[in-house]
Amino acid sequence: MNKKRDMMISETGTQREKEIKIIGFLCNWCSYGGADTAGVCRFKQPTDLRIIRIPCTGRMDPLFVVKSLIYGADGVLVSGCHPKDCHYAVGNLYARRRMELLKRFLPFIGIDTNRFRYTWVSASEGQLWQQVVTEFSEEIHRLGPNAGLNEKMDAETALSLFNTK
Amino acid sequence: MPMDEKTKTLQEDFEKNFADLELVIGWETGFDRLHATPVFIRQPSELGKLVWNPLCSQNLSGYLAKNLDASIQEDGKKIGICVKGCDSRSLVALIQENFIDRDRLYIVGIPCEGTVDLRRLMHLKPSLENVRKVDIEGDEAVVETDQETLRFPIENVLARKCLRCLYPNPVIYDTMIGTPLKPRISEDKLYSAVEKFDTSDRKQRLAFWKTEFNRCIRCYACRNACPLCVCQDNCIAESRKPKWLTQRDGIREKFLFHMIHGLHLAGRCTECGE
Repeated sequence: MNKKRDMMISETGTQREKEIKIIGFLCNWCSYGGADTAGVCRFKQPTDLRIIRIPCTGRMDPLFVVKSLIYGADGVLVSGCHPKDCHYAVGNLYARRRMELLKRFLPFIGIDTNRFRYTWVSASEGQLWQQVVTEFSEEIHRLGPNAGLNEKMDAETALSLFNTK
Repeated sequence: MPMDEKTKTLQEDFEKNFADLELVIGWETGFDRLHATPVFIRQPSELGKLVWNPLCSQNLSGYLAKNLDASIQEDGKKIGICVKGCDSRSLVALIQENFIDRDRLYIVGIPCEGTVDLRRLMHLKPSLENVRKVDIEGDEAVVETDQETLRFPIENVLARKCLRCLYPNPVIYDTMIGTPLKPRISEDKLYSAVEKFDTSDRKQRLAFWKTEFNRCIRCYACRNACPLCVCQDNCIAESRKPKWLTQRDGIREKFLFHMIHGLHLAGRCTECGE
């Protein structure tokens, strides 16, 4: 019985490639609308993105991104209103500071910074949204699944770590 | 000025000004002369407990924001506090963030030649006991015991944060004890270790942090010691709502905890090294 089940698992395992998961944090007023516009216009989009709606990119805590990446999300996309177009006047400016900080911080802790991207897409820019999502998904597919903290090192890297210590 | 003299000046200064003070925060000798521990003094008769020596490593400014409500001045009485160069910078940050009212404080600044890292000292001399005095003379740390006088080069026994200290002198004070000192390191060499680390491979960096954070037992002592970690009971590492961390062990939770600590201090950290 167990043997049969193991076989089934291995069969399905080989059949299906590991699904790529990208987390998208979109602001309620612009990018969420933009994604909606893209949908209404029936633009073809990759299906890897899971969208989380936030009231404003000013709500973005850099830790949202860090936690997603540590816990195995393959990519994180943050998108909001263009600077100066924020519904709350300055929310996205705060966000920009935090995201820039994060972009510099991620390499330091050894997380691939290409897995994280932030952009500005307004509610009318359905086309731009399609482009952003397609490009970012392609990038993440190129990078492959995120091993996160389970990342294995090859013997050479492990040895060099030992030597520098 | 030798250490004993500085201690004496420190005590005398507080005695002179004690009428205006409700509390003095400083250091006293711990359970033996190799340890210093924070002390809270409310009676002038207890001022004799105060000491200043290279073992006074604790940053006392955190108490003002966390344990005492020093943000408002009530009865005109002040809080006296002793600060080293690094501690004074934390104090400035807390004043800027309105956790402390500057007028509530009487700050005694002490130029600091560096604090001794006891772990490094014990590593060099595991059998160290009956210590009478620890002092720094130029490039040497001098440890006097009942039996002998030991001398160590400071590179081997000072806390690493003190070896790359750029601010030995208090940046904010009402009274300064002793004379200002020159930093041992120049600004361009300050981050040489970080720069070297930055050039290593990404996977190597991740492996480094994983090894380091794996030692963490999430006791949260680093958070409690940090003068700018001021959320107290609302710390998201311990709250259930929002729930950031679980009780599960393992590298993921430890890693995330340190990311929380790191990112919450981004742009605020004064690098006191606590």
